[in-house]
Parts: sequence; structure tokens; C-alpha cells
Amino acid sequence: MSVIYGLIPGMILLGLVSVLVFFWAVRSGQYEDMEGPAHRILDDDDMPAAPEKNEQDADDDRL
Amino acid sequence: MSGQSGCYHCGLPVTGFSACHGEIDGERRAFCCSGCLTVCQAIHDSGLDEFYRKVYRREVQLAPPPDMPADLDQYDLDEVRREFVREDSDGSCEAMLLIDGIHCAACVWLIERVMSDMPGVQKAEVNLAHKRLQIRWKRNQIRLSEIMRRLAAIGYAAVPFNQEALEGQVRRSNRRLLFRMAFAGFGVLNIMWISIALYAGAFSADAGGYAQFFHWVSFAIATPVLFYSGGPFLAGAASSLRHGRLNMDVPIAIGALATWGYSVFQTLARHEHVYYDTVVTFLFVILVGRYLEALARRNATSATTRLMELQPRMATRIRGDGGEERVAVRKLKAGDIVLVRPGDKVPADGLIIDGEGHVDESMLTGESRPVHKHCNERLSAGTVNGEAPLRMQVEQTGAGTTLARIIHLVEAAQGSKARVQRIADRIVPWFVFVTLLLAASTFAYWLGQDFEKALLAAAAVLIITCPCALGLATPMAVSVAAGLGARHGLLVRNGEALEALAGIDHVVFDKTGTLTEGAMRVTEICPVDGRDASEMLQMAAAVEMHFTHPLARALAGEAEARGLSLPDCREAHACNGGVAATVAGRQVLLGSAVLMKERGMAMDVGQASGDGALVWMAVDGHLAGLFRLKDRLRQDVVALIEQILDMKAGVTVLTGDSKQAAAALAGHLGGDIEVIGEVLPEDKAHYVSLLQKQGKKVLMVGDGVNDAPALACADVGLAMGSGTDVSMECSDVVLMGSELSRIPFALALGRQTLRTIRQNLSLSLAYNLILVPLAMAALVTPVFAAIAMPVSSLLVIGNAVLIRWRTCLPQPERA
Repeated sequence: MSVIYGLIPGMILLGLVSVLVFFWAVRSGQYEDMEGPAHRILDDDDMPAAPEKNEQDADDDRL
Repeated sequence: MSGQSGCYHCGLPVTGFSACHGEIDGERRAFCCSGCLTVCQAIHDSGLDEFYRKVYRREVQLAPPPDMPADLDQYDLDEVRREFVREDSDGSCEAMLLIDGIHCAACVWLIERVMSDMPGVQKAEVNLAHKRLQIRWKRNQIRLSEIMRRLAAIGYAAVPFNQEALEGQVRRSNRRLLFRMAFAGFGVLNIMWISIALYAGAFSADAGGYAQFFHWVSFAIATPVLFYSGGPFLAGAASSLRHGRLNMDVPIAIGALATWGYSVFQTLARHEHVYYDTVVTFLFVILVGRYLEALARRNATSATTRLMELQPRMATRIRGDGGEERVAVRKLKAGDIVLVRPGDKVPADGLIIDGEGHVDESMLTGESRPVHKHCNERLSAGTVNGEAPLRMQVEQTGAGTTLARIIHLVEAAQGSKARVQRIADRIVPWFVFVTLLLAASTFAYWLGQDFEKALLAAAAVLIITCPCALGLATPMAVSVAAGLGARHGLLVRNGEALEALAGIDHVVFDKTGTLTEGAMRVTEICPVDGRDASEMLQMAAAVEMHFTHPLARALAGEAEARGLSLPDCREAHACNGGVAATVAGRQVLLGSAVLMKERGMAMDVGQASGDGALVWMAVDGHLAGLFRLKDRLRQDVVALIEQILDMKAGVTVLTGDSKQAAAALAGHLGGDIEVIGEVLPEDKAHYVSLLQKQGKKVLMVGDGVNDAPALACADVGLAMGSGTDVSMECSDVVLMGSELSRIPFALALGRQTLRTIRQNLSLSLAYNLILVPLAMAALVTPVFAAIAMPVSSLLVIGNAVLIRWRTCLPQPERA
């Protein structure tokens, strides 16, 4: 049973990682537009390559 | 989207004088207006007909393109550009544009496609949810005005906006709150596993040393949650105690700290009662409440910003040598001569010194009919010039203009508006005081027997009374109600407005544009000498269809609506105050009474009384009759007022019309309401505050800029979604579209929300009343607290969700 001494901290670590991923997602504007991307995927036939995100606009994104 | 049934671009029926035809891809297509034709042409020329296929696939209805913004070159002016554009050292610029006219993802595709085809544009990303375009371009290759012109060509009106100034602050604090809530959520989910293990018996003797380990793990999770997620509560409580005023943060902070401190003590002493999970759950639930509240809060600064945007930023100044120059409006001085081109906004207040024409003052007055202005009459900044170039001498600029005075009035009204005091806010200080008193007396009582038992009991009192459900009671109800409103076309901009709506017992309407349709219609045709009314209309429409004046359009539209065929018309031309033409070989003259007198016509003055605009008609030099045109009342107005009266609220209608017209309107709408005539635009807020002085809680419904002070001053301001941006910014509730029947619904929703808030508060207080005696008797165990607390929160949340079913639609609830 002593395995839980490793498993429980491991669980918490994984949880923390997912929280950090969420923070990153919000900061980089993944939740900015909840409507557009759902439609955008249907338009891939002749869309130009998706423009790259840059560092500065992370701050401009909205929740 | 076939060309037969409707406009090839937007699908609207192709009727009326604005309809036109154009050749697209070798085929003749019908369009409802020339705007649609040009846009379609531009899209076709760029080889993007794919757009229509996408639109068709999504079964969305396009609309005719919005009016194009004037003065686009102002955005190339350094002073103006600096406000909106961020420039990087590598020569690229970035700006955020608000786009009017986006309907669906096909528009997103079209805009991004067209933008990325422009040389110099590095990045274009449309946000469909917020209708914004983020664009990045090379400064030396393309100008912002060119980008905006291109957008205009494909049917989208773009306005740059400074996102940081408008919402940066609020957004950042909301995001911090979201992070805190997410972290607490992470804590709750993980600490629950540990707690379940503990409740399941990890502390029993044969489980070995795991209990201690679990306690320390819980401590490791709960401590960062307390100090990071709970940080604002601790700070808020500290500052509230320093200022000697109890607020909601105090019981939260004391409860959380006491519970945490007690658990640490238990952990160190190797005892079995820890409440770490309670601390974390509690903070999480409270943060959810706070976050919902923050989302419903509005940004108060933006109303004045929007008002400022009505003012143009550039003007054409006439130099001393007669030449023209484009200058920034803030460089204008009193005495300058300015040229206002057709379609331009008037840059400052001033006198016309040359030219005459119609000026659209609707954003200032809500009056849809353009006002005819000639020499020596005043122009106000922000109004839009109609068809003729005007020269004016600047009298007032900047802070001295009528527009600036309205801005000032709005600021004053917003500043003086008493905040609705939340019921919860009133209860909190007492609640906190009683809680602390109870905890202290519990501690004192048990201290005689056993120190540890005293500490446990006192901590339990604080844990049980943790105002978890109390903290959720209001925000949860408000956010459910706001969501329900949004689904039915009511945008609640301010959570407190919902509570205030419940207390409304008087509704004030601004007549123009709110109760009326906002467009002129023919209401009466009075032929003289036994002429035929429809023949008269036929001839008039045949002439008027060549002109774009609102009265002309109304006459032509009426003939269209009646399905009359138009006789042949030649030599249509405008003359001073009217129009003339040859229709089927007869001389037809249409115009004002003054024009008729000039031409020596005998007039019957009796017919000319009453309200509305009059157009006189003469055929072959003899008076043929007159048309009366009015801005008609909306159809649902009478039903609306009945519904409001049923809800035991009074009604006042404010109108700028004459007293007789006001009395006639009162008679038409039913006797129990008050119609005040000859109200000057500036006085509307005054009437609202008069009613408030009589102890009435006033809901103001309006739409023009001149309604803005009244909207801000009323207990609740409700703006029509079809009105100006400014009136929307000043109001607490915005009616999307213009369905008036939503107003009684708003009142019903407010009343239901308040009732739910009261129920929620009673629920959470009842929970405390039952459990506090148990806690004082030292009977509450950690398991019990861990179950009872979430249950009370869930009860409150569940009750709030019931608002959806309890608010009846569209019939108002029984009062």
C-alpha cells in the first residue's frame, strides 16, 4: 500500500498541470471566440493557412 | 438564393423604387437596393462567389449592407491613428476593428479571404462572437483607410476601437477571478478523494500511518487555495476591519481562516478532525458566485466614450485664401469656416453661412425626419448633413457643443444615481455580528469544561454559518435571470437593474422612435373638388419616385404598397421647397404650403390643421389636395400599455409634439396614462427626476442620444436595440430588436428575480437557524459539515434555476 505515497502526489501534480494548461488556454485566447472556429473547420477547402499567433496578442485576448 | 424571388445578395423582396438590376457573371440579377448591387459586384469581381454558396448552405439570412462610415481618411491622421493603432518597431501596425454587418461564418470567411488578398496585410482574424476583426499590416505598404474602404466595398462597416481603454481593466480583473476560481475548483476535485478515504476509515487503527499522510496532503492542497484563491477575501476583510465596516468578506475570511487554522492545529496535534475540504469547497462556491456577479457587471466608462465617437475627428476648413484643408477637429477654433460635405458629420456647433439642405439630427433627438436648415441656422456637432454642401462658421468646439453638454449630463446622472442597495448587503453586517457573537459565546460556554471542545464547537459555529449559500443567493439568481432575458431579446447590462426592475411602479416612454416606427407613412389623403384619392397618389408617386427625400419615399412607398401602377413621368425636377414634373401630359407640383402660395394657389386652411407633415399637390395650376404623413405608432403600443397598467405601474409618455397632439395621443392610448407634450429634449431627465421625487421608481424607455441623460437618471433605463449606441450604453437593459411586448416581460422577470433572491436568502438563513444550535451544542462532525454545506448551496442554485420556469411568457405574471 505504500505505493500511495507516490501516487497521490503524482495525482496532484497531474491536476496542477491541467490547471496550468487551462491558464495558458485562457491567456492565449482559446476561449475568445466560441462560435467561429466551429464553422471555420468546415471552410478548410480554400482557406489560407491559419495565421500564426504572436506573443503580444495574448494580452489582448478576452475571456 | 434565386434571382426571381428576392434580392440576389440579401434575399429580401425586390420591391419599391430602390430595386435595381445588375449583371453578375453574365446573368441579369435583381437587387433590393443599390448597396446590395455594389457589394455583390465587388464580391464577384474578387472571385469570391463561393461566399453565396456558403451562405446558402448555412441557411442564414443576409441583410442589406450597413451605411458606410464617412471620413475614412481621418484614420490616416497621426493624432487619430495613435488612439487605435499599435505600431511596432518593425514597421507593422495592429488594430482592432468593430465590424457591422457580420451575419455568420460565411462573412468571417469572406472578410478573412479578402483581407489576406490585400498586399501588406499580414494577419486578419475575425472573432465571430464579438464581431471584431484583429488586423495587422505593414505601415509602408497599405493604409488603415484603404483596409476600411475595402471592407466597406464588400458590405461591412468597420470602426476601429481602443479595446484597452474600453474594457482592459474589467477584463483583466475578471480573468484573475476566473484563475482563482479554476484553482479552487482544482483543489475541490482533488481534496475530495482524500476526504472520501478519510471518511471511509483511513484513520482506523489497521490503516497504519495513512491518516497522517492524508492530513498533510489535504493541508498541501488547502493552503495554496486559501491564500491564492481566497486572497481577495482576506484582503477585503482586512481593509473592511481597518475601516470599521463589516462586509461580506469578513465572515468569509474569518470562517475560512478559523476552519483552516483549526485543521492545522488538529493535524499538528495528530487528532482526527480536519476540515480542509470544507475550506476549499466553501471558497470555490463563493468564487463561483463572485465570478457570475462580475460577468453581469457593466463597464460604466464606455457610455461617454461612445458619445465621444459620435463626434467626427476631421473637418474640412476653408483657408483665408479660399483653399480647403483637412484638419483634426480638435484644431478647430471659434470663427473658422468649415465645409460640411453631403453625408459628412458636422464637426462642431456653428451657424450656416452658405447653402441650405436637410440635416439628420436623429442621433440627437430621435426624430427620424431630417430637418431643413438654411442660412443663419444652427448646426450641432455629430449630426449628419443630407444632400447639399454647407458652409458653416464654427461657434463652439469640443466641450462647448450640445453633444458635449449631453455627455456632461450623462456623467452627472450616472454619478448621482443611487445604487440599488442589495438585500444581501443590508443583511450582511448583522449576520456577521451575530455569527461572531454566537461563536464567542459558544467558546466561552464550553471553555469551562474542556479547551479543545470549546475550540471545536466555536470553529463549527463559524463553519456552519459560513455564508456560502448566502453568497450565492443573489448572483446565482441574477445570472440565471440575465441568461433567460438574453434568450428572449433582453440584454441585461447590469445585474442590479434586475432587482431594481422589480420595484418599478412607473414607466416613462419617449414617444419618437420608441412608440413610433421611426419612418414617415402616409396617413391621410385629402383630395379637393371630388378628385379620386388613389389617382392623386398615383400621380404623386410617379413624381416622387425620382427623389430620395423621406417624404418622397413615403409617398412612393405608399403607392407601391397599394399596388398602384405609376403613370409615365417626365422632367421631374426639384424646385424651392417642392418638386414638379409632367405626368401623363399634366403639370404636377408637389410641395409645401409656402410653395403653393408662391404659385398663387388658393388654400383651404381648415385642412392644414392637425399634426404630421403636409405635402400639397397641384395639377395644371389648380390645387388638387394634400397628403398628411406621420410617423405612425407601432401596432402593439395599445396592448403594451394595457399590460403595463395591469401590472399596477403608471405610464407617462414624453413627446416633443404640440399639446393638442399630446392630448390626442392620450385619448388614443386610453385615459389612464399621462402624455406630456412640448417636452424639450434636455428636459426629459428632469421629468424623470420629478417622478422620482414623488417616490416613484421609474423605468425609462428611450432611444435617441437626447434620451441618454434620462436613461441614466431613471432607476432603470431601457434602450431600444434599434436606437443609438449611446442610449444603449447609458441604459441598464437593452431591448434587442424592437418588440415592445418584451417590456412587460422585463418587469415580470425583475419581479420573479427579486422573489427568488428573497427565497434564496430565506433558505440560507433557515439552514443557519437549524444548524447553528447543533454546532453550539458541539454536535457537528466534519462529515456532517462537509455534506450539509454543499447541500445548502445546491438548494440555492436549484431554486435560482427555477426562474426559467416561473417567469411566464409572453403574458406577464399575475400581480
